[in-house]
Amino acid sequence: MNKKLIRKNIRLTILNMVFLLLCFITLVPILYALNVSFSGHGSALSGTLSLIPRNPTIENYRAILTEEPFALWLKNSLMLSLGAILFSMVCAVPAAYAVSRWRFPGRRATLRLLLVLNAFPQILTMFALFRVLKTAGLLNSHLGLVIIYAGSMCVFSIWNMKGYFDTIPMEIEEASKVDGANNAQMILRIVLPLAKPAIIVTCLMVLITVWNEYIFATTFLLDRSTYSLAGGLYQLQSNDYSRSWPMFTAASVLASLPLLIIFFKLQKYMVSGLTAGGVK
Amino acid sequence: MGKAKKITPWLYLLPALLLIAIVIVFPIVYTGYISLTNMSLYNWDDFKIIGLDNYARALFKFDSGFLSALLTTILWTVINMVIQLGVGFFIALGLNAEGLKLKRVYKTLLMVPWAMPAYISILLWRVGMFNPEFGVLNKILTQLGFAKVDFLANNVIAFCSCLVLNLWMALPFMITTIDGALQSVDHDMYEAATLDGAGFWTRVRYITIPGIRQIIAPAAVMTTFITFKQFDIVYLLTQQRGYMTGATLNTVITYAHQNAFVSNNYGLSSAVSMLLFVIIILFSFLTNRSLEEV
Repeated sequence: MNKKLIRKNIRLTILNMVFLLLCFITLVPILYALNVSFSGHGSALSGTLSLIPRNPTIENYRAILTEEPFALWLKNSLMLSLGAILFSMVCAVPAAYAVSRWRFPGRRATLRLLLVLNAFPQILTMFALFRVLKTAGLLNSHLGLVIIYAGSMCVFSIWNMKGYFDTIPMEIEEASKVDGANNAQMILRIVLPLAKPAIIVTCLMVLITVWNEYIFATTFLLDRSTYSLAGGLYQLQSNDYSRSWPMFTAASVLASLPLLIIFFKLQKYMVSGLTAGGVK
Repeated sequence: MGKAKKITPWLYLLPALLLIAIVIVFPIVYTGYISLTNMSLYNWDDFKIIGLDNYARALFKFDSGFLSALLTTILWTVINMVIQLGVGFFIALGLNAEGLKLKRVYKTLLMVPWAMPAYISILLWRVGMFNPEFGVLNKILTQLGFAKVDFLANNVIAFCSCLVLNLWMALPFMITTIDGALQSVDHDMYEAATLDGAGFWTRVRYITIPGIRQIIAPAAVMTTFITFKQFDIVYLLTQQRGYMTGATLNTVITYAHQNAFVSNNYGLSSAVSMLLFVIIILFSFLTNRSLEEV
């Protein structure tokens, strides 16, 4: 019995060491970014290897906030995200409600069509969208990008919220109907409050997607004053490294931090949300 | 059902369907139209319809690059899925080992790459890890006395670098999924099997894998699609405008993108896009059917 226990302990120690190593390897790029962002000039590009900055300084953070229009990029990213959330929710909430609550001719076909459209990588129509935006005079405008984001997120949101709406019992609505409330009143006063958690989670998922999107943002926003975080960071990493690389790492820490917080708050919904529309 | 009742659902759906029609359906139709023309930078406005020539060029002329991009993409997807499922499985199994007290801490730390914005991760890797002059990997190599390596210099090494980065970004989802599936495997069966003298591998082979296969199938299918559609890694690592690294690696999506935005072959790019659309739809119908049978 004692021998068995010792063997078990040795196994657990080895396992712990493996996991510590694994976690460390996983975090190297992030530790690297933190290290460079807090290091002084030149040390990032030197040949030496260290994980902790020798002379910690917040110079890079000061530089990114004062010498580069980081605040403007942040504002633009927020505007794009909020615009996309608002626009896609106004369209998706009633649609999700309709496909969840009513059985009507064409319902199944509509849901299937949405799934097929969701499988299509939007980047493949980027050139067509580019031509459309150019013709409509919406290149370099946040409105154009918001509409595009809202459209693609609308498909995801309908599927995601439909799943949640399905779990809200019908009886509550029927009771309020007896009380004489019409459809719109009932949705506003009864369904929306009940569905609030689902709607918030969906909004945050849209936020994450839009915040992380770069290829449309860097293709359609070419004017420096319209840059979002993606455009700004993209430009920093393609410039002269010695000056802008440490600033890039500081900017990437600042741009990722809010997302990391939201992600870990939402973690349990991420898996179910991602797979919800995927299969059925 | 009354007439009014039949119309109400569609009224609720109208704004969403209108938006989707404008942003998603119309561009697909428009791409289909462009694919039938000779539109290019020189024929921006005075393009004309040339029928299926672009499709013929993509499919039957090997030097167009589409077929080799398709092969690369299939290879990329297969290798990725095999490694992700294998490595993800063993990491998740390790996390579920009895008596591992720090499980939650490990799990949270291993999730971080998933939570990071993808383009930021890729750009951090491009310069911070892979850069020949001051990337971390080369610093380690020189400290160990090896010569410096340019990790993106040619197709083979660039493919491996992209693979490593994709694993770093995608494994957290696979680990979470398999970890979740493992929770549902009946513990009594393990004990019974152990009493019958079954070793670790026998238990994995006959209890764990059959027990989780159905649960991870949808996630595996979804990851296969995502891996097939991967664009960001190859594009940001090797194809940024003005920063071509020497690798000419292309997946199908970077191929379509390159033809549209670099070489301005809009017709060919659109034809490739439509072909990919058909491939993806066929593939998703096939997998949907097989998933329903599971």
